Amino acid sequence: MATVSMEKQIDPITTQVIRNAMVTAAEEMRLTLVKTAYNPLIYEVQDFAVALLNREGEMLAQGTSLPLFLPALTFTIKSGLEKFGTGGFDEGDVMLANDPYSTGTHISDTSIYMPIFFDGELQGFCANTAHWADVGGKTPGGWCPDSNDVFQEGMIFPHLKLYEEGQLNRTMMDYIMANTRFPDLVRGDLGAQIAACKTGVNRYVALCEKYGAETAREAMELVFDQSEALMRRMIGEMPDGEWSAETSMDHDGIVKDVQRKIKVTVRIEGDEATVDFTGTDETATGPINCPLAASRAAAEIAFKSATLPHEPANEGHSRPLKVISPEHTITNPSWPAPCDSYGYAALIIIDLVSEALSYAVPDRTVAGEYMLFGAWFFRTDPRFGKPFIYIDPVDGGGGASSFDDGADGLIFHGDGDAPNTPVEVAESRYPIRIERYELHTEEYGVGRFRGGMGTIRDYRFLTDSVSTQVANEQTKCRPHGLHGGADAGINRLWVRPGTEQQEIITERVSFYGPFVTNDVLSCRTGGGGGFGDPLERDPERVRWEVLNELLTPEQARESYGVIVGEDGDGDPVIDLAATEALRTERRASASA
Amino acid sequence: MSDKRLAVDVGGTFIDFVLLDEATGAVEVEKEPSLIRELPEHIFRGINRLAVDLSDLEMIIHGSTIVINTILQEVGGKVGLITTQGFRDVLELGRGNRPQVYNLLYKPPKPLIPRYLRFEVPERLSYKGEVVTPLDESATREAIEKLKGRGVEAIAVCFLHAYADPGHERRVREIAAEAFPEAYVAISSDVTGEFREFERTSTVSLNTYVMPRIGAYLSDLEHRLADGGYQGALSIIQSTGGLMSSEEARHLPIRTLESGPAGGVIGAVALGRKIGQSNLIAADVGGTSFDVAMVLDGRPFEKSETTVNERPVLQPTIDIASIGAGGGSIAWIDDAGGFRVGPLSAEADPGPVCFGRGGTEPTVTDAHVVLGRINPDLFLGHRMELDVDGAAQAIQDKIADPLGLTLTEAAFGITHLADTNMIHAIRRVTIERGHDPRDFSLLCYGGGGGLFAGSLMREMQIGQAIIPLNPAVFSAWGILNSDFREDAVRTSVMPTSDLDADQLLALFDALQEQLEQRMKKNAPGAEGMRLIHMADMRYEGQEHTVKVPLPPPDELRAQGIQAVQERFDELHQTTYAHSSPGMPTELVNLRMAAVLESKKPELAEIQEGSGDGSAAFKANRQVYFKDVDDAMDCPTFDRGALGSGDRIAGPAIIEEWNSTTIVHPGQLLEVDAYGNLIISEVA
Repeated sequence: MATVSMEKQIDPITTQVIRNAMVTAAEEMRLTLVKTAYNPLIYEVQDFAVALLNREGEMLAQGTSLPLFLPALTFTIKSGLEKFGTGGFDEGDVMLANDPYSTGTHISDTSIYMPIFFDGELQGFCANTAHWADVGGKTPGGWCPDSNDVFQEGMIFPHLKLYEEGQLNRTMMDYIMANTRFPDLVRGDLGAQIAACKTGVNRYVALCEKYGAETAREAMELVFDQSEALMRRMIGEMPDGEWSAETSMDHDGIVKDVQRKIKVTVRIEGDEATVDFTGTDETATGPINCPLAASRAAAEIAFKSATLPHEPANEGHSRPLKVISPEHTITNPSWPAPCDSYGYAALIIIDLVSEALSYAVPDRTVAGEYMLFGAWFFRTDPRFGKPFIYIDPVDGGGGASSFDDGADGLIFHGDGDAPNTPVEVAESRYPIRIERYELHTEEYGVGRFRGGMGTIRDYRFLTDSVSTQVANEQTKCRPHGLHGGADAGINRLWVRPGTEQQEIITERVSFYGPFVTNDVLSCRTGGGGGFGDPLERDPERVRWEVLNELLTPEQARESYGVIVGEDGDGDPVIDLAATEALRTERRASASA
Repeated sequence: MSDKRLAVDVGGTFIDFVLLDEATGAVEVEKEPSLIRELPEHIFRGINRLAVDLSDLEMIIHGSTIVINTILQEVGGKVGLITTQGFRDVLELGRGNRPQVYNLLYKPPKPLIPRYLRFEVPERLSYKGEVVTPLDESATREAIEKLKGRGVEAIAVCFLHAYADPGHERRVREIAAEAFPEAYVAISSDVTGEFREFERTSTVSLNTYVMPRIGAYLSDLEHRLADGGYQGALSIIQSTGGLMSSEEARHLPIRTLESGPAGGVIGAVALGRKIGQSNLIAADVGGTSFDVAMVLDGRPFEKSETTVNERPVLQPTIDIASIGAGGGSIAWIDDAGGFRVGPLSAEADPGPVCFGRGGTEPTVTDAHVVLGRINPDLFLGHRMELDVDGAAQAIQDKIADPLGLTLTEAAFGITHLADTNMIHAIRRVTIERGHDPRDFSLLCYGGGGGLFAGSLMREMQIGQAIIPLNPAVFSAWGILNSDFREDAVRTSVMPTSDLDADQLLALFDALQEQLEQRMKKNAPGAEGMRLIHMADMRYEGQEHTVKVPLPPPDELRAQGIQAVQERFDELHQTTYAHSSPGMPTELVNLRMAAVLESKKPELAEIQEGSGDGSAAFKANRQVYFKDVDDAMDCPTFDRGALGSGDRIAGPAIIEEWNSTTIVHPGQLLEVDAYGNLIISEVA
């Protein structure tokens, strides 16, 4: 009797069933992690990733999470395999790794992984990485903006076995708990990370029981091949060529008067693509260095968005993409250079690769986006009340595309699906009052399509002794506009606006304050870069923005060469003839 | 007036009618195409086809899709918004998250109220409800005048922390009633008493957006019914499965957002009670979608928030997961060469290839036809003859040849992949909530329920599947079981340790008053309202809450607040797989539901069968099961002729006028006293 499961060559039905089961398993790992975590960075800010990998460390499937972490998990497993070899793992082992030079991100992102065994044979790995509440180090909660080697950033776990064959290494656990500022949170999160891995192991083993380990492997090999072929076709459809983009960072956190350059060259040759970081400055003194795995991850995000943004990611998609970075550079630093602030460089790389790709696929890319910005409020002195830390993801503007304006008020693309904190929730939790939350109608790049707008959020303190840490970048070189669109704006923190003690902060600082009751801080994020010549903007879009008080008639004339008048009801109308005349004149003087 | 009740359930393709004679328990069913544009006309036409005099009807219950369609198609009214100074962009900015993490081009949907129709007025409350800035009434009048000048027909009002004190919002409504009496007005504190300003603004905006349309629709329908002699009330199904009066539905239409799929779940609860099944997975297999919900301890699992096209709605809603999988789901080969089924559907028009109405893409129904599982002559009770050759040709050309499969392998693959899509939806509603699907029975209804029940239960190792009587109109039968229900919520964040049992109960007083007033409008003079107290709780410092049902007031007083904490620990353990007894907890939202029970339809027992179903045997047919090279000789039976106690071993096919049930080899079918088909595994 011939049934659908064939012997040698795997059939397309089983392949699809196994592929779906892998994606579902990864999704269940994600759920386990979110629902059992103790730390708001996991269940609110969603600063984590989960994945299933094969025994070569290749990505089988991932759960929805921070995209930057996912290719890093591949690198993590591969470096674990390098250390232990395929035979170095046993059933029930739980591995712990956070060394940036073997995980690819920064030290707070701690990876937990478990080998999957079936019939006594290694099948693959379940892995996740999550931003721990604290890994020791000089700054509570991580993110030290001014470390000058990796040792200052926290405890280093170079692929350690926290459990060996199911047996907990108590000494190691005690050591970790003694060296973190928030042992309860860390213990809870560790438990959640291990539970997530176990969920994945069980699902994979169930799949092997049903279809056989060999079939599961063959099916995923076929899926890799299909995904790779598809990616090659997408790249093959791009024109061959070489395009570069570069920018400079404000400073490295230690040496404040030197701007460091990041340069990206994208090369398309047939059905292969190369991202080359040659030309990037050498390793920085401060922690803005971005380990090679994260540099690669950032390049992959930009490629994935430009080709297959909706496909569940797997190893096959990565195969046609080659990433080159010279050693001892910001994009490929060497141990023990500090890298705690790697996130800025990673986001910049996404924008630069997108910019270079915009010459190959202008309809699949966007201009530069507002840069990661945060003002984190904390009060540690118990004399003023219960200590708290309030991390509010601050949204800004996205880059414009060749066919639409950028998104207004969205989280930066490196932070995945993280939501902001509602005003009503924040006020019930922290001694603050938020007095304004609105679109920031300045500081975005104009263009035929404009960059998305940033936001303004005003916080009034209802207590004394609150301090803030400010995260910011790209205030000197701004995120880029494309094809004639203007560059994006910058993020600013207005301190006590409208008073005699008003200050405007744009630099990232680890400690600013303390503030007293009734002091106001205003976070004003930048928008994204524009796309195309502003003189080609559809006057109807301009009229709509004037009607909606996003633009004044003066700005319409100034930025877009559009003349806006008023009708009998006081609503804006376009004077098309005058607009055409002004635009013709502007074009003539520009070409002269 | 005789005791007759009528259920009118509007679905994506059909309006289903179920007429119940209370005296005899007899049920009459009818179907009519649901064409959005002329819905009242088609409803009326369907009623006329039933053998009933409108003046004999005691009650009409209506499950409606008008609210969700108005929002999805963006055909609601021109609406203005009045909000707290500094916050007019809340509706547009939302929570700023990016659900498509790899898509740099992602943009959220545009707000349904553009910025030039959103006005701010000076006013401000603290989260405790204290007035920080009083309402500026002249600015309010000015805003209303401007909105009037800009031609809006409805106004939504949402102020920060209005859940803590609705005074300012109510004052705006009074001013609007004077200055702009013809406008529809809705205030956020009436729609929900829950915090989170974007979600509440979104909810009241959507509510206001659909008010003009639903007002016109209900008036049209009620006039037609009154002209036809109907003297009873028109009740509408809410997203909770509870009933509300049409008058309430005009003011708070957003509460009927998920009215459509709720009926089947209410039916599942009622049927489960009758046959002693309190834990059910209720699965509605339609032409285009697969809707699945969990019934736990005899109650539907509810959520307090839902979304429609990424727009949040804070309203209690039966927790239904819906995916694009059903008989009409299209099989295709993706760009990478992978074999896929759905989520695209051939829908009712043109429908599957076998319908012969111009469909060219192979669907799941076509696959079942090719495998011999659907009787080509009996589809929809002989109303339609199926084109078997056309279905086979489409599968051969579009799937089998490109993938190098035989025709039957490809057809089997299509049904199998449709199964796996449905299984993922079932896993989502159970496992995500901390439950194992194997602890449930699977109730499958909708036109396609019987086609999938046997294979789904086998794949998921579920012990038992149930296909109810008249599965294709089960949702409409379900809504005849609905009770009147009102819900209210109030955010009140405080440590649980600050309260004793009496203080906790006192917090519910205002909610109870609100519910009593509203219930009077639904059912004037009715007695015996049952109250359900619930509290959303969390450990201090957590974000996510767990909804804790509270014991009745007397028990709560006797047991003390400690019992509530313990119940919370327990539920936290079930939901999140861990708990921390002894850790300080917080109260976040108080929820209350008032339920007024209605009379339930009786289930009639069917006559006893011969034991082996032989009286219902029709013929043998060649049907493919797992062995795709060899069709099996499979007996077919007429469902209408089966009697209670009949047992039939698979393989077998049970046919009725609008549905087919497959019993796979190795499975056993039993007919229970009410005519439900119960499938179990033999070994």
